[in-house]
Amino acid sequence: MSKLSDTLEAGRFAVVVELKPPRGTNTQDMLTPVKALAQQVAAFGVPDNEHARMRLSALAACRLVQEAGGEPLMHLTCRDRNRLALESELLGAATLGIENLLLVSGDYVTLGDHPDAKPVYDVDSVQLLQIAQDLMAGRDSVGQALDGNPSFFLGAVVVPEAKPLGPQLLKFDKKVTAGARFFITPPVFDLEKLEDFQKDLPAYPVKLLASLKVLSPEEAAQADSPQWRKVYRVPRQVLEQLTGKEGEDFLRAGAALAGSLLKQIRQEKLADGVYLKARGRADLLEEILQAAAK
Amino acid sequence: MIIAQRKPFKEISEAVAPYDKILIVGCGTCVAVCLAGGEKEVGLLASQLKLAAGLKGRRIEVGEITVERQCDREFLEPLCDFVADHDAILSMACGAGVQFLAQLYYFKPIFPAVDTTFIGVNEAVGLFTERCRACHHCYLGLTGGICPLTMCPKGLLNGPCGGTLNGKCEVDPEKDCAWSEIYRRLEQQGRLDNLKKIVPLHPHARSTTPGQVIHPAYQRRYSAYE
Repeated sequence: MSKLSDTLEAGRFAVVVELKPPRGTNTQDMLTPVKALAQQVAAFGVPDNEHARMRLSALAACRLVQEAGGEPLMHLTCRDRNRLALESELLGAATLGIENLLLVSGDYVTLGDHPDAKPVYDVDSVQLLQIAQDLMAGRDSVGQALDGNPSFFLGAVVVPEAKPLGPQLLKFDKKVTAGARFFITPPVFDLEKLEDFQKDLPAYPVKLLASLKVLSPEEAAQADSPQWRKVYRVPRQVLEQLTGKEGEDFLRAGAALAGSLLKQIRQEKLADGVYLKARGRADLLEEILQAAAK
Repeated sequence: MIIAQRKPFKEISEAVAPYDKILIVGCGTCVAVCLAGGEKEVGLLASQLKLAAGLKGRRIEVGEITVERQCDREFLEPLCDFVADHDAILSMACGAGVQFLAQLYYFKPIFPAVDTTFIGVNEAVGLFTERCRACHHCYLGLTGGICPLTMCPKGLLNGPCGGTLNGKCEVDPEKDCAWSEIYRRLEQQGRLDNLKKIVPLHPHARSTTPGQVIHPAYQRRYSAYE
Protein backbone atom coordinates (compact mmCIF):
# COMPACT_ATOMS: atom_id res chain seq x y z
CA MET A 1 0.00 0.00 0.00
CA SER A 2 1.27 3.45 -0.82
CA LYS A 3 1.64 6.20 1.76
CA LEU A 4 -0.97 8.22 -0.15
CA SER A 5 -3.56 5.44 -0.08
CA ASP A 6 -2.80 4.70 3.59
CA THR A 7 -3.28 8.36 4.48
CA LEU A 8 -6.53 8.73 2.56
CA GLU A 9 -8.00 5.37 3.54
CA ALA A 10 -7.25 6.09 7.20
CA GLY A 11 -9.26 9.30 6.87
CA ARG A 12 -6.23 11.54 7.35
CA PHE A 13 -5.86 14.72 5.32
CA ALA A 14 -3.41 14.15 2.45
CA VAL A 15 -1.12 16.78 0.97
CA VAL A 16 0.35 16.07 -2.46
CA VAL A 17 2.66 18.55 -4.15
CA GLU A 18 3.29 18.77 -7.85
CA LEU A 19 6.79 18.69 -9.28
CA LYS A 20 7.92 20.18 -12.56
CA PRO A 21 9.93 17.74 -14.67
CA PRO A 22 12.56 19.60 -16.70
CA ARG A 23 12.74 20.13 -20.42
CA GLY A 24 16.23 18.63 -20.43
CA THR A 25 18.31 16.36 -18.27
CA ASN A 26 19.04 18.63 -15.32
CA THR A 27 16.83 17.18 -12.60
CA GLN A 28 18.24 19.09 -9.62
CA ASP A 29 15.51 21.76 -9.46
CA MET A 30 12.73 19.23 -9.96
CA LEU A 31 13.93 17.26 -6.93
CA THR A 32 14.43 20.22 -4.55
CA PRO A 33 10.86 19.99 -3.14
CA VAL A 34 11.31 16.25 -2.56
CA LYS A 35 14.37 16.81 -0.41
CA ALA A 36 12.69 19.67 1.47
CA LEU A 37 9.21 18.21 1.98
CA ALA A 38 9.40 14.39 1.87
CA GLN A 39 8.54 14.12 5.56
CA GLN A 40 5.66 16.61 5.41
CA VAL A 41 3.64 15.46 2.41
CA ALA A 42 2.06 12.19 1.31
CA ALA A 43 3.21 12.18 -2.30
CA PHE A 44 4.75 14.12 -5.18
CA GLY A 45 2.71 14.53 -8.35
CA VAL A 46 4.70 14.03 -11.55
CA PRO A 47 2.93 15.36 -14.68
CA ASP A 48 3.21 13.59 -18.01
CA ASN A 49 4.07 16.21 -20.66
CA GLU A 50 1.68 18.60 -18.91
CA HIS A 51 -0.32 20.93 -21.19
CA ALA A 52 1.08 18.94 -24.15
CA ARG A 53 4.52 20.48 -23.54
CA MET A 54 7.49 18.16 -23.83
CA ARG A 55 9.21 17.34 -20.53
CA LEU A 56 11.25 14.57 -18.93
CA SER A 57 9.37 11.24 -18.92
CA ALA A 58 7.08 10.92 -15.91
CA LEU A 59 8.22 7.34 -15.31
CA ALA A 60 11.89 8.36 -15.11
CA ALA A 61 11.03 11.38 -12.97
CA CYS A 62 9.04 9.16 -10.57
CA ARG A 63 12.05 6.87 -10.16
CA LEU A 64 14.22 9.87 -9.32
CA VAL A 65 11.62 11.02 -6.77
CA GLN A 66 11.82 7.60 -5.10
CA GLU A 67 15.62 7.74 -5.04
CA ALA A 68 15.40 11.18 -3.43
CA GLY A 69 13.21 9.78 -0.66
CA GLY A 70 9.72 10.74 -1.85
CA GLU A 71 6.66 8.82 -2.94
CA PRO A 72 5.57 9.62 -6.50
CA LEU A 73 2.10 10.03 -7.97
CA MET A 74 2.61 9.35 -11.64
CA HIS A 75 0.36 11.02 -14.21
CA LEU A 76 -0.27 9.06 -17.39
CA THR A 77 -1.93 10.62 -20.42
CA CYS A 78 -3.82 8.92 -23.26
CA ARG A 79 -2.62 11.61 -25.66
CA ASP A 80 0.86 10.28 -26.37
CA ARG A 81 0.59 6.48 -26.32
CA ASN A 82 -1.54 3.70 -27.73
CA ARG A 83 -2.89 0.85 -25.60
CA LEU A 84 0.26 -1.26 -26.04
CA ALA A 85 2.50 1.54 -24.79
CA LEU A 86 0.12 2.47 -21.95
CA GLU A 87 -0.06 -1.09 -20.69
CA SER A 88 3.69 -1.62 -20.76
CA GLU A 89 4.18 1.80 -19.11
CA LEU A 90 1.81 0.71 -16.33
CA LEU A 91 3.72 -2.54 -15.86
CA GLY A 92 6.96 -0.56 -15.88
CA ALA A 93 5.64 1.73 -13.14
CA ALA A 94 4.55 -1.26 -11.06
CA THR A 95 7.93 -2.96 -11.29
CA LEU A 96 9.57 0.25 -10.03
CA GLY A 97 7.17 0.34 -7.08
CA ILE A 98 5.14 3.27 -8.37
CA GLU A 99 1.60 2.64 -7.13
CA ASN A 100 -0.12 6.03 -7.24
CA LEU A 101 -1.46 6.85 -10.67
CA LEU A 102 -3.43 9.74 -12.09
CA LEU A 103 -4.90 8.59 -15.40
CA VAL A 104 -5.98 11.40 -17.71
CA SER A 105 -7.03 12.03 -21.32
CA GLY A 106 -4.44 14.79 -21.69
CA ASP A 107 -4.60 18.32 -23.09
CA TYR A 108 -4.81 18.35 -26.87
CA VAL A 109 -1.54 18.54 -28.81
CA THR A 110 -2.30 21.76 -30.67
CA LEU A 111 -2.46 23.58 -27.31
CA GLY A 112 1.11 22.59 -26.50
CA ASP A 113 4.61 23.11 -27.87
CA HIS A 114 4.55 20.30 -30.47
CA PRO A 115 1.32 21.24 -32.28
CA ASP A 116 2.07 19.10 -35.36
CA ALA A 117 2.53 15.90 -33.34
CA LYS A 118 0.05 13.09 -33.97
CA PRO A 119 -2.53 12.92 -31.17
CA VAL A 120 -3.08 9.29 -30.15
CA TYR A 121 -6.13 8.90 -27.86
CA ASP A 122 -6.38 5.21 -28.70
CA VAL A 123 -7.80 4.87 -25.19
CA ASP A 124 -9.79 7.35 -23.09
CA SER A 125 -9.33 7.97 -19.38
CA VAL A 126 -12.21 5.66 -18.40
CA GLN A 127 -10.83 2.86 -20.54
CA LEU A 128 -7.33 3.45 -19.15
CA LEU A 129 -8.64 3.08 -15.60
CA GLN A 130 -10.30 -0.14 -16.69
CA ILE A 131 -7.05 -1.36 -18.25
CA ALA A 132 -5.16 -0.62 -15.01
CA GLN A 133 -7.84 -2.41 -13.01
CA ASP A 134 -7.64 -5.41 -15.34
CA LEU A 135 -3.85 -5.50 -15.01
CA MET A 136 -4.26 -5.59 -11.23
CA ALA A 137 -6.59 -8.55 -11.71
CA GLY A 138 -3.90 -10.32 -13.73
CA ARG A 139 -4.93 -9.77 -17.34
CA ASP A 140 -4.13 -7.28 -20.06
CA SER A 141 -6.62 -5.42 -22.26
CA VAL A 142 -7.05 -8.39 -24.59
CA GLY A 143 -7.47 -10.86 -21.74
CA GLN A 144 -4.00 -12.44 -21.73
CA ALA A 145 -2.76 -13.61 -18.34
CA LEU A 146 0.09 -11.68 -16.72
CA ASP A 147 3.18 -13.14 -15.15
CA GLY A 148 2.96 -11.12 -11.92
CA ASN A 149 0.17 -8.68 -11.15
CA PRO A 150 0.76 -4.98 -10.50
CA SER A 151 -0.70 -3.11 -7.57
CA PHE A 152 -2.00 0.43 -8.09
CA PHE A 153 -3.83 3.20 -6.29
CA LEU A 154 -5.87 4.65 -9.14
CA GLY A 155 -6.79 8.28 -9.50
CA ALA A 156 -8.58 10.42 -12.06
CA VAL A 157 -9.67 14.00 -12.65
CA VAL A 158 -13.07 15.49 -11.97
CA VAL A 159 -14.13 19.07 -12.71
CA PRO A 160 -16.52 20.38 -10.02
CA GLU A 161 -17.07 23.66 -11.87
CA ALA A 162 -17.89 22.03 -15.22
CA LYS A 163 -20.68 23.62 -17.22
CA PRO A 164 -22.82 21.74 -18.02
CA LEU A 165 -22.25 19.44 -15.04
CA GLY A 166 -24.33 16.49 -16.35
CA PRO A 167 -21.79 15.12 -18.85
CA GLN A 168 -19.01 15.55 -16.26
CA LEU A 169 -20.94 13.55 -13.66
CA LEU A 170 -21.64 10.88 -16.26
CA LYS A 171 -17.92 10.47 -16.80
CA PHE A 172 -17.19 10.67 -13.08
CA ASP A 173 -19.59 7.80 -12.52
CA LYS A 174 -17.88 5.72 -15.21
CA LYS A 175 -14.46 6.48 -13.73
CA VAL A 176 -15.60 5.21 -10.33
CA THR A 177 -16.96 2.06 -11.97
CA ALA A 178 -13.68 1.66 -13.84
CA GLY A 179 -11.71 1.64 -10.60
CA ALA A 180 -10.81 5.22 -9.65
CA ARG A 181 -10.35 5.46 -5.89
CA PHE A 182 -9.38 9.10 -5.66
CA PHE A 183 -10.06 12.20 -7.73
CA ILE A 184 -8.13 15.40 -8.20
CA THR A 185 -9.91 18.61 -9.19
CA PRO A 186 -8.54 21.44 -11.31
CA PRO A 187 -7.41 24.44 -9.23
CA VAL A 188 -10.07 25.67 -6.83
CA PHE A 189 -10.35 29.30 -5.76
CA ASP A 190 -14.06 29.42 -5.06
CA LEU A 191 -14.68 27.09 -2.14
CA GLU A 192 -18.44 27.49 -2.45
CA LYS A 193 -18.20 25.65 -5.78
CA LEU A 194 -16.32 22.83 -4.09
CA GLU A 195 -18.91 22.69 -1.32
CA ASP A 196 -21.76 22.61 -3.84
CA PHE A 197 -20.07 19.80 -5.73
CA GLN A 198 -19.58 17.78 -2.55
CA LYS A 199 -23.29 18.15 -1.79
CA ASP A 200 -24.24 17.03 -5.30
CA LEU A 201 -22.12 13.93 -5.07
CA PRO A 202 -23.86 10.79 -3.99
CA ALA A 203 -21.95 8.70 -1.49
CA TYR A 204 -19.25 7.36 -3.79
CA PRO A 205 -16.48 5.36 -2.14
CA VAL A 206 -13.79 7.74 -3.40
CA LYS A 207 -11.49 10.40 -2.00
CA LEU A 208 -11.28 13.93 -3.32
CA LEU A 209 -8.12 16.04 -3.52
CA ALA A 210 -8.71 19.71 -4.29
CA SER A 211 -6.00 21.40 -6.34
CA LEU A 212 -4.61 24.69 -5.08
CA LYS A 213 -2.54 26.74 -7.44
CA VAL A 214 -0.20 29.69 -7.18
CA LEU A 215 -1.33 31.81 -10.12
CA SER A 216 1.19 33.56 -12.34
CA PRO A 217 0.76 37.33 -12.83
CA GLU A 218 -0.25 36.61 -16.46
CA GLU A 219 -2.97 34.19 -15.36
CA ALA A 220 -4.26 36.61 -12.73
CA ALA A 221 -4.41 39.40 -15.33
CA GLN A 222 -6.55 37.20 -17.59
CA ALA A 223 -8.70 35.55 -14.94
CA ASP A 224 -11.46 38.13 -14.99
CA SER A 225 -11.44 38.66 -18.77
CA PRO A 226 -13.39 37.00 -21.59
CA GLN A 227 -10.10 35.42 -22.75
CA TRP A 228 -10.03 33.21 -19.63
CA ARG A 229 -10.29 29.64 -20.91
CA LYS A 230 -9.72 27.63 -17.74
CA VAL A 231 -12.25 25.27 -16.23
CA TYR A 232 -12.10 27.07 -12.88
CA ARG A 233 -13.20 30.54 -11.88
CA VAL A 234 -11.14 32.94 -9.80
CA PRO A 235 -13.51 35.18 -7.80
CA ARG A 236 -12.82 38.92 -7.97
CA GLN A 237 -12.22 39.17 -4.21
CA VAL A 238 -9.46 36.57 -4.58
CA LEU A 239 -7.84 38.53 -7.40
CA GLU A 240 -8.01 41.68 -5.28
CA GLN A 241 -5.76 40.03 -2.70
CA LEU A 242 -3.09 39.77 -5.41
CA THR A 243 -3.41 43.20 -6.97
CA GLY A 244 -0.63 45.74 -6.63
CA LYS A 245 2.01 43.05 -6.23
CA GLU A 246 4.67 42.11 -8.76
CA GLY A 247 7.26 39.41 -9.38
CA GLU A 248 8.22 37.39 -6.32
CA ASP A 249 5.86 39.34 -4.06
CA PHE A 250 2.99 38.33 -6.32
CA LEU A 251 3.92 34.65 -6.11
CA ARG A 252 4.35 34.83 -2.33
CA ALA A 253 0.89 36.41 -2.01
CA GLY A 254 -0.45 33.60 -4.20
CA ALA A 255 1.18 31.04 -1.91
CA ALA A 256 -0.31 32.71 1.18
CA LEU A 257 -3.71 32.63 -0.49
CA ALA A 258 -3.31 28.92 -1.32
CA GLY A 259 -2.30 28.34 2.30
CA SER A 260 -5.45 29.98 3.64
CA LEU A 261 -7.61 27.97 1.21
CA LEU A 262 -5.83 24.79 2.33
CA LYS A 263 -6.56 25.63 5.96
CA GLN A 264 -10.25 26.24 5.23
CA ILE A 265 -10.59 23.05 3.16
CA ARG A 266 -9.03 21.03 5.98
CA GLN A 267 -11.04 22.67 8.75
CA GLU A 268 -14.36 22.52 6.95
CA LYS A 269 -13.68 19.04 5.50
CA LEU A 270 -14.37 20.24 1.96
CA ALA A 271 -12.01 17.60 0.57
CA ASP A 272 -9.92 14.64 1.74
CA GLY A 273 -6.71 16.35 0.78
CA VAL A 274 -5.08 18.90 -1.48
CA TYR A 275 -2.88 18.85 -4.56
CA LEU A 276 -0.54 21.84 -4.57
CA LYS A 277 0.64 23.43 -7.80
CA ALA A 278 3.31 26.02 -7.17
CA ARG A 279 5.60 25.81 -10.22
CA GLY A 280 7.45 22.95 -8.53
CA ARG A 281 9.23 25.48 -6.28
CA ALA A 282 10.10 24.26 -2.80
CA ASP A 283 10.09 27.78 -1.29
CA LEU A 284 6.54 28.52 -2.50
CA LEU A 285 5.30 25.10 -1.41
CA GLU A 286 6.79 25.66 2.04
CA GLU A 287 5.09 29.05 2.23
CA ILE A 288 1.74 27.44 1.44
CA LEU A 289 2.21 24.87 4.19
CA GLN A 290 3.37 27.51 6.67
CA ALA A 291 0.42 29.77 5.84
CA ALA A 292 -1.95 26.82 6.33
CA ALA A 293 -0.44 26.05 9.73
CA LYS A 294 -1.05 29.56 11.08
CA MET B 1 -19.36 13.70 -49.39
CA ILE B 2 -15.61 14.15 -49.69
CA ILE B 3 -14.48 17.71 -49.03
CA ALA B 4 -11.30 19.09 -50.60
CA GLN B 5 -9.53 22.42 -50.92
CA ARG B 6 -7.59 23.58 -53.92
CA LYS B 7 -3.85 23.71 -53.41
CA PRO B 8 -2.11 27.10 -53.57
CA PHE B 9 -1.38 28.06 -57.18
CA LYS B 10 2.37 28.28 -56.53
CA GLU B 11 2.51 24.64 -55.47
CA ILE B 12 0.53 23.49 -58.52
CA SER B 13 2.51 25.57 -61.02
CA GLU B 14 5.85 24.38 -59.59
CA ALA B 15 4.72 20.75 -59.84
CA VAL B 16 3.86 21.01 -63.56
CA ALA B 17 6.63 23.48 -64.50
CA PRO B 18 8.62 20.89 -66.53
CA TYR B 19 5.68 20.13 -68.86
CA ASP B 20 4.37 21.98 -71.91
CA LYS B 21 1.16 19.99 -72.51
CA ILE B 22 -0.89 19.56 -69.36
CA LEU B 23 -4.29 17.90 -69.04
CA ILE B 24 -6.44 19.11 -66.14
CA VAL B 25 -9.05 16.54 -65.16
CA GLY B 26 -11.90 17.75 -62.97
CA CYS B 27 -14.38 15.65 -61.05
CA GLY B 28 -18.09 16.40 -61.24
CA THR B 29 -19.20 14.94 -57.92
CA CYS B 30 -17.99 15.81 -54.38
CA VAL B 31 -15.22 18.27 -55.25
CA ALA B 32 -17.56 20.08 -57.65
CA VAL B 33 -20.09 20.60 -54.85
CA CYS B 34 -17.44 21.89 -52.47
CA LEU B 35 -16.14 24.25 -55.17
CA ALA B 36 -12.65 22.79 -55.27
CA GLY B 37 -12.31 20.68 -58.43
CA GLY B 38 -15.38 20.77 -60.67
CA GLU B 39 -15.70 22.07 -64.23
CA LYS B 40 -15.55 25.75 -63.19
CA GLU B 41 -12.45 25.24 -61.10
CA VAL B 42 -10.78 23.35 -63.97
CA GLY B 43 -11.39 26.35 -66.25
CA LEU B 44 -10.04 28.76 -63.67
CA LEU B 45 -6.89 26.74 -63.05
CA ALA B 46 -6.27 26.35 -66.81
CA SER B 47 -6.47 30.12 -67.29
CA GLN B 48 -4.16 30.74 -64.33
CA LEU B 49 -1.56 28.29 -65.64
CA LYS B 50 -1.62 29.76 -69.18
CA LEU B 51 -1.40 33.34 -67.91
CA ALA B 52 1.45 32.55 -65.53
CA ALA B 53 3.37 30.74 -68.29
CA GLY B 54 2.71 33.64 -70.70
CA LEU B 55 4.14 36.13 -68.21
CA LYS B 56 7.32 34.06 -68.19
CA GLY B 57 7.41 34.02 -72.01
CA ARG B 58 6.42 30.36 -72.23
CA ARG B 59 3.65 28.90 -74.32
CA ILE B 60 1.92 25.89 -72.84
CA GLU B 61 -1.06 23.84 -73.92
CA VAL B 62 -3.62 23.14 -71.24
CA GLY B 63 -6.38 20.63 -71.92
CA GLU B 64 -9.54 20.71 -69.80
CA ILE B 65 -11.97 17.90 -69.13
CA THR B 66 -14.30 17.08 -66.27
CA VAL B 67 -15.70 13.61 -65.71
CA GLU B 68 -18.71 12.55 -63.66
CA ARG B 69 -16.57 10.75 -61.07
CA GLN B 70 -12.87 9.98 -61.02
CA CYS B 71 -13.46 7.17 -58.53
CA ASP B 72 -15.26 5.07 -61.15
CA ARG B 73 -13.43 3.20 -63.88
CA GLU B 74 -16.20 3.66 -66.46
CA PHE B 75 -15.71 7.44 -66.44
CA LEU B 76 -11.91 7.25 -66.67
CA GLU B 77 -11.43 4.80 -69.53
CA PRO B 78 -12.82 7.19 -72.19
CA LEU B 79 -10.01 9.65 -71.30
CA CYS B 80 -7.27 7.59 -72.94
CA ASP B 81 -6.98 9.72 -76.10
CA PHE B 82 -6.82 12.97 -74.11
CA VAL B 83 -4.19 11.53 -71.83
CA ALA B 84 -2.12 10.36 -74.79
CA ASP B 85 -2.07 13.93 -76.17
CA HIS B 86 -0.56 15.46 -73.01
CA ASP B 87 2.73 15.26 -71.10
CA ALA B 88 1.27 15.37 -67.60
CA ILE B 89 -2.06 15.20 -65.79
CA LEU B 90 -3.33 17.53 -63.08
CA SER B 91 -6.21 15.87 -61.27
CA MET B 92 -8.65 18.02 -59.35
CA ALA B 93 -10.37 15.02 -57.73
CA CYS B 94 -10.02 13.84 -54.14
CA GLY B 95 -7.11 11.54 -53.29
CA ALA B 96 -9.13 8.48 -54.33
CA GLY B 97 -9.81 9.92 -57.78
CA VAL B 98 -6.19 10.98 -58.30
CA GLN B 99 -4.98 7.49 -57.43
CA PHE B 100 -7.51 5.73 -59.64
CA LEU B 101 -6.59 7.93 -62.56
CA ALA B 102 -2.89 7.33 -61.87
CA GLN B 103 -3.50 3.58 -61.68
CA LEU B 104 -5.17 3.51 -65.08
CA TYR B 105 -2.69 5.86 -66.78
CA TYR B 106 0.37 4.65 -64.88
CA PHE B 107 2.75 5.69 -67.65
CA LYS B 108 1.90 9.40 -67.32
CA PRO B 109 3.10 11.77 -64.55
CA ILE B 110 0.11 12.85 -62.43
CA PHE B 111 -0.16 15.65 -59.86
CA PRO B 112 -2.93 16.54 -57.40
CA ALA B 113 -4.40 20.04 -57.61
CA VAL B 114 -6.42 19.75 -54.39
CA ASP B 115 -5.80 18.66 -50.81
CA THR B 116 -8.46 16.20 -49.66
CA THR B 117 -9.66 17.21 -46.22
CA PHE B 118 -12.52 15.13 -44.83
CA ILE B 119 -15.93 13.46 -45.19
CA GLY B 120 -18.41 16.17 -44.42
CA VAL B 121 -21.54 18.09 -45.22
CA ASN B 122 -22.52 21.28 -47.02
CA GLU B 123 -23.58 23.12 -43.89
CA ALA B 124 -24.29 26.45 -45.61
CA VAL B 125 -23.19 28.18 -48.80
CA GLY B 126 -19.42 27.79 -48.97
CA LEU B 127 -19.27 26.22 -45.50
CA PHE B 128 -18.29 22.57 -45.29
CA THR B 129 -17.89 20.75 -41.99
CA GLU B 130 -16.56 17.34 -41.05
CA ARG B 131 -18.85 14.57 -39.82
CA CYS B 132 -17.28 11.14 -40.34
CA ARG B 133 -13.86 9.49 -39.96
CA ALA B 134 -14.90 6.34 -41.82
CA CYS B 135 -13.83 4.26 -38.80
CA HIS B 136 -15.60 1.00 -39.79
CA HIS B 137 -17.50 0.92 -36.48
CA CYS B 138 -20.42 3.36 -36.24
CA TYR B 139 -21.44 4.62 -32.78
CA LEU B 140 -24.16 7.01 -33.97
CA GLY B 141 -27.07 4.91 -32.69
CA LEU B 142 -25.61 5.08 -29.19
CA THR B 143 -24.66 8.75 -29.22
CA GLY B 144 -27.76 10.44 -30.58
CA GLY B 145 -26.48 10.83 -34.13
CA ILE B 146 -23.35 12.79 -33.13
CA CYS B 147 -20.05 11.02 -33.76
CA PRO B 148 -17.73 11.15 -30.73
CA LEU B 149 -14.77 9.96 -32.80
CA THR B 150 -15.12 12.81 -35.28
CA MET B 151 -16.80 15.65 -33.45
CA CYS B 152 -14.54 15.35 -30.36
CA PRO B 153 -10.94 16.12 -31.42
CA LYS B 154 -9.73 13.51 -28.94
CA GLY B 155 -12.27 10.96 -30.17
CA LEU B 156 -13.26 10.18 -26.59
CA LEU B 157 -15.86 7.43 -26.30
CA ASN B 158 -16.96 7.71 -22.68
CA GLY B 159 -17.77 11.35 -22.03
CA PRO B 160 -16.15 14.78 -22.19
CA CYS B 161 -12.57 15.61 -21.27
CA GLY B 162 -11.84 18.00 -18.42
CA GLY B 163 -11.14 20.87 -20.78
CA THR B 164 -14.65 21.53 -22.03
CA LEU B 165 -15.97 24.93 -20.96
CA ASN B 166 -19.52 26.26 -21.18
CA GLY B 167 -20.40 23.58 -23.69
CA LYS B 168 -17.49 24.55 -25.96
CA CYS B 169 -14.43 22.55 -27.00
CA GLU B 170 -11.04 22.75 -25.25
CA VAL B 171 -9.30 22.72 -28.61
CA ASP B 172 -11.36 25.43 -30.32
CA PRO B 173 -13.70 27.57 -28.21
CA GLU B 174 -15.66 28.43 -31.36
CA LYS B 175 -16.76 24.82 -31.67
CA ASP B 176 -19.32 22.96 -29.58
CA CYS B 177 -18.13 20.22 -27.23
CA ALA B 178 -19.30 17.01 -28.88
CA TRP B 179 -20.05 15.40 -25.53
CA SER B 180 -22.11 18.33 -24.27
CA GLU B 181 -24.13 18.03 -27.49
CA ILE B 182 -24.47 14.25 -27.24
CA TYR B 183 -25.62 14.55 -23.63
CA ARG B 184 -28.11 17.31 -24.43
CA ARG B 185 -29.60 15.48 -27.38
CA LEU B 186 -30.03 12.19 -25.53
CA GLU B 187 -31.46 14.07 -22.54
CA GLN B 188 -34.03 15.69 -24.85
CA GLN B 189 -34.91 12.27 -26.23
CA GLY B 190 -35.07 10.70 -22.77
CA ARG B 191 -32.28 8.28 -23.73
CA LEU B 192 -29.48 9.17 -21.29
CA ASP B 193 -29.35 5.54 -20.20
CA ASN B 194 -27.54 4.96 -23.49
CA LEU B 195 -24.46 6.55 -21.97
CA LYS B 196 -24.28 4.67 -18.69
CA LYS B 197 -22.37 1.66 -19.93
CA ILE B 198 -18.62 2.00 -20.46
CA VAL B 199 -17.85 1.87 -24.17
CA PRO B 200 -15.01 -0.63 -24.72
CA LEU B 201 -11.78 0.05 -26.60
CA HIS B 202 -12.29 0.93 -30.25
CA PRO B 203 -11.50 -1.90 -32.72
CA HIS B 204 -8.81 -0.15 -34.77
CA ALA B 205 -7.84 -3.38 -36.55
CA ARG B 206 -10.87 -2.90 -38.78
CA SER B 207 -9.42 0.36 -40.05
CA THR B 208 -6.17 -1.19 -41.23
CA THR B 209 -5.47 0.47 -44.56
CA PRO B 210 -6.07 0.05 -47.41
CA GLY B 211 -9.71 -0.79 -46.65
CA GLN B 212 -11.82 -3.07 -48.78
CA VAL B 213 -15.54 -3.77 -48.89
CA ILE B 214 -17.02 -6.55 -51.02
CA HIS B 215 -20.77 -6.39 -51.43
CA PRO B 216 -22.31 -9.69 -50.28
CA ALA B 217 -23.83 -10.28 -53.72
CA TYR B 218 -20.33 -10.25 -55.26
CA GLN B 219 -18.50 -12.40 -52.71
CA ARG B 220 -18.18 -15.32 -55.08
CA ARG B 221 -16.86 -13.21 -57.91
CA TYR B 222 -13.99 -11.72 -55.90
CA SER B 223 -13.17 -14.78 -53.87
CA ALA B 224 -12.18 -16.36 -57.19
CA TYR B 225 -9.07 -14.14 -57.15
CA GLU B 226 -7.88 -15.53 -53.83
